[in-house]
Amino acid sequence: MNSHNDKLLIDVGSTYVKVCVESNAPERCHLEQHFRNFNQSILDDLMHKCGHTISAFAKDDVYICSSANGGLSTLIIGLTHTFSLKYATNIAFNSGINIIDTILYQDIASATVPSDLIDVVIIAGGINSKGNAFADDLYHYLQNINYSNIVYVGNEQDAKVAKAQLPELVVLPNIIDNRLHIVEEELKAYLTNLYQQDIMGKEDIKDLYQISSNQIFSTPYIVNQTLPLIDASYSVVNPFILLDIGGATTDIHYSKDLVDENMVTNNEFDRLVFKKLGVYKSRESLIFAAQGNEFVYELLMHLNVTENIFHEQSDKATRILMQLAIFLVLCKMSHYRQTYINLKLSAVNSIVLTGGVTKVLKQEEAEDIISFFYTKILTSQHRPVTIMDTDYAIWTLGSRAQDANHRAK
Amino acid sequence: MSLLQEEREIILGNEYVENFDFAEVEDFVKNASKELFISHHFKHSNKMLVQPRGGFPTYKKQFALNEFFVKANVDVLPLTIDSNTRLNDYRSAARMLRLSEENDVDMLNGYPLVNHGYRTTRKMVTHFNKPVSLRHGTPDARLLIEQAIASGIFDIEGGPITYLLPYSKNFPLDKAFLYWKYVERVCANYSQLNEPINRESFGPLTATLVPPAITIVIQLLEMLLSLEEGVKSFSVSFAQQGSMMQDIVTGHVLKKLARHYAEDIGCGDASIHLVYHQWMGAFPTNPNYAEQLISIATVVASMVGADKIITKTNQEAAGIPTKEANAETVANTQYSLRILNGLPNITDEQEEEILTEEVMAIMQAVFNDPADTLWRKVFNCIKSGIIDVPFSPHIINHNQMITIRDEQKNIRIIKRGKVPIPDHCFAYEKAQCDLSKDTTSIVNDIIHDIGIMQ
Repeated sequence: MNSHNDKLLIDVGSTYVKVCVESNAPERCHLEQHFRNFNQSILDDLMHKCGHTISAFAKDDVYICSSANGGLSTLIIGLTHTFSLKYATNIAFNSGINIIDTILYQDIASATVPSDLIDVVIIAGGINSKGNAFADDLYHYLQNINYSNIVYVGNEQDAKVAKAQLPELVVLPNIIDNRLHIVEEELKAYLTNLYQQDIMGKEDIKDLYQISSNQIFSTPYIVNQTLPLIDASYSVVNPFILLDIGGATTDIHYSKDLVDENMVTNNEFDRLVFKKLGVYKSRESLIFAAQGNEFVYELLMHLNVTENIFHEQSDKATRILMQLAIFLVLCKMSHYRQTYINLKLSAVNSIVLTGGVTKVLKQEEAEDIISFFYTKILTSQHRPVTIMDTDYAIWTLGSRAQDANHRAK
Repeated sequence: MSLLQEEREIILGNEYVENFDFAEVEDFVKNASKELFISHHFKHSNKMLVQPRGGFPTYKKQFALNEFFVKANVDVLPLTIDSNTRLNDYRSAARMLRLSEENDVDMLNGYPLVNHGYRTTRKMVTHFNKPVSLRHGTPDARLLIEQAIASGIFDIEGGPITYLLPYSKNFPLDKAFLYWKYVERVCANYSQLNEPINRESFGPLTATLVPPAITIVIQLLEMLLSLEEGVKSFSVSFAQQGSMMQDIVTGHVLKKLARHYAEDIGCGDASIHLVYHQWMGAFPTNPNYAEQLISIATVVASMVGADKIITKTNQEAAGIPTKEANAETVANTQYSLRILNGLPNITDEQEEEILTEEVMAIMQAVFNDPADTLWRKVFNCIKSGIIDVPFSPHIINHNQMITIRDEQKNIRIIKRGKVPIPDHCFAYEKAQCDLSKDTTSIVNDIIHDIGIMQ
C-alpha cells in the first residue's frame, strides 16, 4: 500500500470509462473520463488513455466496476403480476440485471418464444402450503427456449416435479412466504453470482484482472449500495430518485416510500431499468419512444428545436436527447404511463442525476426539463431540487464503501 | 450550512408553503408566551391536564371549536390533522379545503395545517394562548411539524412506530425512522430557545388487545429515540385497556422503566410525563354506557398519576363527535378530577414484577441486535417479530402474537410468536386463561374481547 493510502477506482461503462484517484492527500485526488474506443479492447483502451495513472498503482489498490458487459438477460415466468412476477422482477433489478422479460403462466400457451439465448430463466409462483401450480405446458414451453441457467423459486410442493423434469434446474427457497412477504436473499445472491460470473467470463472484462486483484463488481450494485449513505453526505433530501442516464440504459433508483408496495425488503431503495433509453447505443429506440409521446413536440418547441434534431449528429442533438431521456423516464414512472411501478413524484424532494447526463447537460437545462415535466404531466408547481453528480461522487462513495467492506472481511 | 438546515430549506421549499421565514420563526419561538408550552404547564401545574380531540377543515370552525373548549375549561387544545395531509397529499387537501369553505360542508376529517399555513394558524394559537397538541398520524411529518412549531404548537404527538404500525399498510418503516429523526432534531433545536418542545408518543397503537408489555416497549423505544436526539420533554402514553388493575400496573411499570432507561442512556435530565387516553377501542353505542366508561377512565388516570388525560365523548360509536359533545366531556372530566383527590397508591406486586420482566426481556433483545444505531436495532426487531403489535395492518408486522382477555378482563398473551417473553412469564400469562376450549371457541372469545365494551 502507498503512503497516502491512494486507491484507483475505475468504472467501465458502455460509453465512457471513468478513472478516479482517491487519496488521503486531497491534492492527489483527481478524476478523468474518456469516451470509449470500441475498436480496441477495454484494457488496451484504458492503458492507452490513462496507462500512466494505472501503472502507478499496485493491483491491490485498483477497484473496478463495470456495466459494460451488457448485463444478463432474464425471463421470469410467474403466476401473478401482484406477487411472483413483481417480487422476482424486483429481486432481479436489485441484483443488477438489466434485461427482463416476464410471462404470466396462465398466458404461456400464447406467449412468444424468445429467439435469443436467455442467460437465466426464473420460475416463481405460489405459496408453500399449496402445490400443483404448474403443469406440463410449462415444461413444453421451456423445451423451446434456449437458456444458459434456470432457477426455481416457486412453491415447495412443485419443486420436486420441476427438478425431475429439468435436471439442470437450481431449486432455491420460495420468494413468497406464507404471509405473502418477499423472501429475497437466496435468489438475489444467486443472480448476483451469475452476474459476477458473466462479468468475469466476458473476455474484455476478464482482461481487467491484469491490472486489479480485487473483485470486479457491477456498477448498478455499487450505486444501489451507496444510496442509503448519500443523504448523509450530500444535500440530497429524502425521498429522492436517482437517474443514471448513460449510453445504453437509464437506471432509476428510488426511495421506497415513493411507491405503494406490498413488498417488505431489506433495501431502502429499489432499482428499475429502462433498457432502451440511452443516448448512444440505444439512441434509435429513445427517438422511437419520444415520437410516441404526445408531449414531445411541445417539449421540442419549448427547447426551441424541431423534430429534425432527431436526425442530427451534434452536441446539441445529444443534449436534446438527454433532456428527452429525463422527460421520458419521468413519464414512465408517473401515473401518465402505468408501468411496473408508479412513483409518487409529487412527493419527491430531490432528483439526483448521475452518469453521462451530467457531462452533457448544465444544471439549468436539467432543471428546465424537470419543471416542464411537473407542469405538463403532473400539473404541479412542485419543483424537486436537482442535484448533478458531476464528479461521480456517488459512484466514488460506493466504491469506497465497497473497499471498506472488503477490508473489513 | 448544516445538512439538517439544507434539508429543512428543501422541505420548506414545498409549493404549498408560503415563504417560510426561518429567522422570524426562530424569533417567534424564542419570545413565545410560556402559556403555549405544555412542558411549562407540566412543570407548574398541580393538576392533571385535560385535553380533548378535534379538528375541522376551516379556520372558522376550528376557531369556534376552540372557543367551546375554552368555555369548558380545557387545559390543552387539540389540533387534529386531516388524512390527506397525513399522507402528504397537500394538493387534495387544498381542493377539499376550498370546497369546505365554499359549501360549508366538512370535506376533510381534520385541519389541513400545511394549507392554512403557519401565519394564519399562529393567529388562532396565540389568540387562545393555551398549549395546543398536534394529533396527526403522519409517517413523514417533517413539513407538518415545521409548520406546527412555527404556528406556536409546542406539543407534538407521534413517532416512527406508533404513527406507522397502526395507521399504514406499506409505508417503509426505515424511512419513517429517518423522517422522525428529523422531527426530533428540529424539536430539540427549538427547545433550546425557550421552554422545551414536548414530544408525545402514541401509546394506544391499534387499541385492539395490545398487551401492556408491547405498549410499554414501544413507548420506551420512541422515548429513547427522541431523547438521544436532544429532546428534553417527553410524554409516554397508553390507553385504557379494559381492566383497572392492568391499567394501574401498566402505569407504574411504564413510569418506572421510562426513568430507568432515560438515565441509562445519559438523558436523566429530560422530564418525562405520563399521558392516559380514555378508551380507544370500539365504543358502546349506548351513550349512557359510554359515559360510564369515560368516567372510569378518569378514575384510572388519577390512580396511575397521569399528567394529562385525553378525552373521548359519548358519541364515539355514532360518528365524529360534535363540538358540543367534545366540550361537554372536557367539563365532565374536569368535574370528576376535582372529586378524585388523595387516592391511595395501590398495585399488584406479582403482576408488576411479571410485566417488568417481560418488558426488560424485550428491551434487552432490542439492545442485543447487532445494528450500530438504535433506530436500526428497533427496525430489525420489528422486521424479525421481536416486537409484534396485534392487529397492525402494516405488512412488516408479524401479527403472530395472539392475545385474549382472562376472567378479570386483563389482556393476556397466549401465543408469543417471536416476542422473547420469558418462559415463566408466558406460563403465568397462559395460566390466567381458560385454554382448554377448542380453537373456534377461542377465536369467538377473541372476537368478543375486541368488542368487549360494546
